[in-house]
Amino acid sequence: MDIARSMGLMMPELIIGGASLLLLLVVAYGGKGSARAVFIGAATALGAALFFVVPTVTAGVAGAGADAFGTQFSADAFAAFAKVLIYLAGIACLAVAPSFLSRFFALRGEYAILVLLAVMGMGLMVSATDLVALYMGLELNSLAAYVLASFLRDDQRSAEAGLKYFILGALASGILLYGMSLIYGFTGTTSFDGIAAAISGDMSTGALFGVIFMLVGLAFKISAVPFHMWTPDVYEGAPTPVTTFFATAPKVAAIALLARVSLDAFGDQVFAWRQVVIFAALASIVVGALGAIGQNNLKRLLAYSSINNVGFIMIGLAAATVQGLSAMMVYLAIYVVMSLGSFVAVLMLRNGHGEQLETFDDIAGLSTTRPLMAWCLLILMFSLAGIPPLFGFYGKFVVFQAAVQADLVLLAAIGIAASVIGAFYYIKFVKVMFFDEPADRATGEADSVSWVILIGSAILVSPLAYILTNWLTNQADTAAASLFLG
Amino acid sequence: MIGIEHYLVVSAILFVLGVLGIFLNRKNIIVILMAIELILLGVNLNLVAFSAFLNDLTGQIFAMFVLTVAAAEAAIGLAILVIYFRARGTIAVDDVDRLKG
Amino acid sequence: MIQTIAFYLFASIVIASGVLTIMARNPVHSVLWLILAFFNAAGLMVLVGAEFLAMLLVVVYVGAVAVLFLFVVMMLDIDFAEMRAGFMRNFPLGIAVAIVLLMEILFGLGALSAGPIALGTADGSAAPVLGQTNIENLGALLYTEYAFLFQIAGMILLVAMVGAIVLTHREQKAVRGHQNIGKQISRRPDEAVVMKQPTSGEGVEL
Repeated sequence: MDIARSMGLMMPELIIGGASLLLLLVVAYGGKGSARAVFIGAATALGAALFFVVPTVTAGVAGAGADAFGTQFSADAFAAFAKVLIYLAGIACLAVAPSFLSRFFALRGEYAILVLLAVMGMGLMVSATDLVALYMGLELNSLAAYVLASFLRDDQRSAEAGLKYFILGALASGILLYGMSLIYGFTGTTSFDGIAAAISGDMSTGALFGVIFMLVGLAFKISAVPFHMWTPDVYEGAPTPVTTFFATAPKVAAIALLARVSLDAFGDQVFAWRQVVIFAALASIVVGALGAIGQNNLKRLLAYSSINNVGFIMIGLAAATVQGLSAMMVYLAIYVVMSLGSFVAVLMLRNGHGEQLETFDDIAGLSTTRPLMAWCLLILMFSLAGIPPLFGFYGKFVVFQAAVQADLVLLAAIGIAASVIGAFYYIKFVKVMFFDEPADRATGEADSVSWVILIGSAILVSPLAYILTNWLTNQADTAAASLFLG
Repeated sequence: MIGIEHYLVVSAILFVLGVLGIFLNRKNIIVILMAIELILLGVNLNLVAFSAFLNDLTGQIFAMFVLTVAAAEAAIGLAILVIYFRARGTIAVDDVDRLKG
Repeated sequence: MIQTIAFYLFASIVIASGVLTIMARNPVHSVLWLILAFFNAAGLMVLVGAEFLAMLLVVVYVGAVAVLFLFVVMMLDIDFAEMRAGFMRNFPLGIAVAIVLLMEILFGLGALSAGPIALGTADGSAAPVLGQTNIENLGALLYTEYAFLFQIAGMILLVAMVGAIVLTHREQKAVRGHQNIGKQISRRPDEAVVMKQPTSGEGVEL
């Protein structure tokens, strides 16, 4: 094993890890005054890491040349594609946090460091090609996330969100780990290649149990039905910048991880997990759509929306083809932009005294008081609903196309029907903003960074984005191909 | 030497006990954290037994990492529990109900 | 023979103390049962020849984690008498579900059927070298093949440290609590003051 070569391949993680250690010293010696500098430093580190992963996607690195540390990690184009999304989401979440935290007297540099360490864990998750490496990455991410959820420690809702997230997350890790131990025992190896080779013939029931336990654990992490119960509570209770983070970066990481495990390690046993994935996909779409009806809190509503979207992404996984995987990646990219934009919009809703607003009553008639924000939200909501001219439609389109090509016509048909039901509450959102009596509550000024992110993401999902289709599809195809080659 | 199935039975019982402890417990959250430790103990026993019977040390290395993570997890879990107790003044499971839809 | 007796001794105690951990009404007792479970699990590990892990289990769990639990139980100053009042609900249902789950796992693994279990076969790259102790073998693997993950384990412990400090450490000044000036100024007389005109002889309505 060539250490220097492996280190070179893990450069993005090394940069982020090194930066977090350095910035921790700055926090320790610089005190509270250094907090803003630490946020800037952390975002810069993510930018530098981005600089290293972008060439990997465009070059389509795959195969043994991307393997680092034996067969523990793979810095291939698939991992790099996911990392680009994760780092961009991480930078955006770092940018919107300071103004929120300072209003709660909680602007501390440790927040940025925990985000950096979580992002490092996500990078390891999407690169992992070994069960041990997968577990370590997952836990680095989860442990930092538990702390972030309860970061506003004097706020009862934040503490409760952290507690719920911790207990259910630890239970999920335990179930995942039990599955991993069974797979290790019944295949004799922890590397994905070894597992794929060992179960390529007929799989023992022991290994099958391992696969099922692992899928259950991962379903918890991506908040797919029936293991989604924690999502609305945690999204509502956690501080809004943290919720923005949870809805974007970790979701990309967990879904990419799920795709790699299912298609790489269990790729020869598609029949063993396809039914489970199809069930979870449909259940997530339906529960996400129905659960959102009747919610008054916008963060809860967006939590159900994210459950709903995870369902659509899993349709691409159920196809278990290169097209399916590529469609998943395209959908993920669009989903990250949409959910980033909508959560940042919620973050920008505050009253004249700087208090956060997060219910439907607060956004009534937003189009008269805040026309620009209302129009951005309109674009984002219609895009989340998948209404045709907007870019969200393209994501759903490619996923359904991949499902049809993989002979899952019924799945695609049910998915399309359910997305019509799902459109209902997005339209309600728009109706409240444009046609209800103005409540005139959201009068507080928002900072310019949030405006940039909101407007930027609205433009990225507007019909203008169709000029990006070819480019995005090409990148996603390269990424997907690298997983199937490797 | 005792067969592997005996070890699998013991660790499966520990795993199920842990899950049962999480779902049945209505009294206090600290016992839930202990139930999580029981789950991880079951997993560790599984890994070590497999490692011995496969004549392969990967399982023991894995168990060491699980042990490390479990210690970190316990520290963070208890820290969150402490701030929750400070904010609410209770750790009864039934009182964890501020967030509802 | 002595191994068999030792196995059944350790196994029965570990399961019994596991049950008592989740059933004990006093959290302090739960922690103590948990410690007993860890000691006996360590015994089981010694039986299969994993001495180093057995030792780690005792040092890390009994020495650190369990003591941390005890510390928190005592620090929180919980009213145990009140805790005892609400005992487990859905008890029979939970036990039934647990037994079904356990049986399913055991049947799935083939642990209940006669004959040996068909384990996988390891490729031998991580096989222990004969003549070396367990700890030497583990060290040789941990510091070469798993060196990077070893570092990541360090990062995880760092997260735990930063997290625990950031959540629980309080500076002395912060005791007073924060004044929300916005909320104070936005208070209007009509939501704070009620004007009443009580008529004489009828008492006051509160």
